[in-house]
Amino acid sequence: MSQHGPPGLSRRALLRLGGAAGAAAALGPLGACAGPTGAQSAGAMTLALNRSLVSLDNKLNQFDAAVTVQRAVRQALTRIGPDLTPEPVLADRFELTAPTEWTVRLRKGVHYSDGSPVLVRDVATALSMYKQVSGSFLASFFPEWPQVEEVDDRVFLLHTERPLPVLDYLMANILITPGDANEAAELPSGIGSGPYVVTAANRGTGTYTLERNDRYWGARRPAVPTVDVRFLPEESSRVVSLRGGEVDVIDTISPDSAEQLTGLPDIAMDSVPGTRINQLFYNFRKPDDHPLSDVRVREALTFAIDGRTLVDDVLVGSVTQADGVVSGALTGAVATGAYVHDPRKARGLLAAAGIGPGDLTLKLIWETGEFAGDTTVMEAVLQMLKDAGVGVTLQQFEPGGDIPQWRQGRGGDWDVIGNGFASPTGLALATVQGMFGGTAEKEKTRDTYQGYVVPEVTDILDRAYDETDPKARQELAAQAQHAVWRTWPCLWAFVPNSVLARRRRVRGLALEASNSYDLAATRLEG
Amino acid sequence: MVRYILRRLGQSALTVFLTVSAVFVLIRLAPGDPAASFAGPMATTEDLARVREQFGLDQPLPTQYLVFVRDMLTGNLGTSYSFQAPAFDVVIARLPYTTTLATSAILVTAFAAIPLGVWMARRADTRREAGVNVAGIAAQSMPEFWSGVMLLTVFAVLFPVLPASGFATWSGIVLPTITVALLQVALISRLVRREMGANLAAPYLVAARSRGVSERALTWRYAIPNSAIPVLTALGTRFAAMLNGVVVVEVVFAWPGVGSLVVRALETRDYPLIQATVLVTAGLAVLVQLLIDLAYPLLDPRVRIGKAVRR
Repeated sequence: MSQHGPPGLSRRALLRLGGAAGAAAALGPLGACAGPTGAQSAGAMTLALNRSLVSLDNKLNQFDAAVTVQRAVRQALTRIGPDLTPEPVLADRFELTAPTEWTVRLRKGVHYSDGSPVLVRDVATALSMYKQVSGSFLASFFPEWPQVEEVDDRVFLLHTERPLPVLDYLMANILITPGDANEAAELPSGIGSGPYVVTAANRGTGTYTLERNDRYWGARRPAVPTVDVRFLPEESSRVVSLRGGEVDVIDTISPDSAEQLTGLPDIAMDSVPGTRINQLFYNFRKPDDHPLSDVRVREALTFAIDGRTLVDDVLVGSVTQADGVVSGALTGAVATGAYVHDPRKARGLLAAAGIGPGDLTLKLIWETGEFAGDTTVMEAVLQMLKDAGVGVTLQQFEPGGDIPQWRQGRGGDWDVIGNGFASPTGLALATVQGMFGGTAEKEKTRDTYQGYVVPEVTDILDRAYDETDPKARQELAAQAQHAVWRTWPCLWAFVPNSVLARRRRVRGLALEASNSYDLAATRLEG
Repeated sequence: MVRYILRRLGQSALTVFLTVSAVFVLIRLAPGDPAASFAGPMATTEDLARVREQFGLDQPLPTQYLVFVRDMLTGNLGTSYSFQAPAFDVVIARLPYTTTLATSAILVTAFAAIPLGVWMARRADTRREAGVNVAGIAAQSMPEFWSGVMLLTVFAVLFPVLPASGFATWSGIVLPTITVALLQVALISRLVRREMGANLAAPYLVAARSRGVSERALTWRYAIPNSAIPVLTALGTRFAAMLNGVVVVEVVFAWPGVGSLVVRALETRDYPLIQATVLVTAGLAVLVQLLIDLAYPLLDPRVRIGKAVRR
């Protein structure tokens, strides 16, 4: 064992260096440590969201609970109200004055949180920015982007090439910010005209603090001075945090969690039928000689599904079996029929179509988390179809995996897909158009909804979109929904309830079908 | 010495570079399309093509790699698809939370496992030592998600004395720290026990004992310093692993660290964010290892930085 250090470096120096290195190893990371994100302030309400609110803008993404927070800070000309019809917000007039022209008037005195007025120019800039951004989920709902023509300081016209009678619904999603600060991208910060302002934000952790906007233009000032927004991705964490009083409101609750929370003395549950529809949708890209191309077979298979059992036992009453092609909560939705469980009839109809027991095997695909209880539902459906003599294979995709390619028929062959369709406009016609308005032209690039192209339906939808008379438009919309139902596009479908749990001290919270609520209307008691 | 440090830094940089390069390739081989995740289910083929072009995903893989390396060398790790912010900034915003949890857990581990291991070594082959050993094996066998959920159930639900999630107050760190430390204490205490057992039976200590040196002095002045290197190495390795994100614990306790961030990045196929996370955490891990290596001479004078031990 040598007792000598390397030349030029004494034992003492070596020890000192080693000591410094050891201390750095042990204590160095302490310098990079974080303190707590902040305890709930007195009089504050804490919301726990299931997805991270990466911004208070909605150009790229908009999930249900985000709407509540986004609209508390930024506002649109209109909003989709509790009855899923447009209500004026920044505009006090939004009127169809010609088939391709809307007249809009900004409400007198509307201004941003810094006191600057909301201008017509800001609306024009907002539309331009939403149009330019790549990958906007909203673009698919706008058949075309309207042009703004300023009439005076408050009044402007919105022009379209073709009639767009649902523009007042669509504009509820266009958030207005000062034109100079707007960009063709998700805005990470900035001001709005809403009842709250952002005083602290950490996009990384999804933590936001909202304070009451003392300069709010509206008559009703928020009762809750501070709202803390937290991101808790795990449902179990949200449930435990609510029970422990760390958070006041949680959303997006599965049937299991709802069961756990029901009956707890400090917790109240709110549930309303949602605007989303979840479907077991047939693949409409099958060759003509495939059994699923035969509407009789598609109808026959629906009789094999025991929807009542799925609703009551598997989904614990947290959903409603669909009685139409869209959620019944949507404006203009009509009941078009019912899913009936009759396995004997299923076998009979299949036999009549030339399909005996064991002749048909279906492949069911879905992405994990597409809807609550997805795997259990699919396993139950497998058994029900087997009881009707139909073989089934299941294929589950991980989130973010290849299912988009499969949806487009580019990943592999499938027969039924478990899929959900949201409706941010609250309008049945827009939702039917989004799902069932496929054309042969769109199908060339596989841009139709699971290959659904039925010219009769598309024609009715086109006429409905061009119709400026509300009554006639609704008749056409209803006609389109019946026409879709007759094509039996789904093996089964259901509408999940929007469910929210809150501490009982939170009052005035009115959950809407869009799974959001007016934050400014809430108050805290006790 | 300086040459040794420079050589180690060079090796560390190469390790990090190879790790990031491997991740670059592997995530692109995995199923999934970032453009589809970004643009959502309503996106048309045209939308997807536009998004791919915007993100540079329409380029051949070698071109993408060269662009990535060029940008990385200039300090640009790209823009996170889901956050629409520089990926490096997103990681750096989360890193302090992981560092806090890792530091807290490693301190608890060190302060609990070393005395426990010493205690076990000094009471080797007794019933009490066997009892503690069994408890240690049980703690070692418990998956973190299970122990985390159990701790949550007891201390946040049945007896709500501690926060269940997040890091809103300092008390929020208690349950995640215990969950992470539980397994580490079990592992490190058994290592300390083994090293101490060997040292306490070594001839030099037998000789010292025969000369009347007290047991306390034998343990703390002689046996522990001689057991320190493997223990320090193990603690350092564990700490480096924790800096990569204590994924399960972060998810269970909604801890806003890089572990939960990388889960989300993987789900959305956010390539820049995944690469930035790997770069930062791998860099930190090799740095910690380097610092631990530099600390060895303090613990064992026979160790020469950059040279083999001469006997």
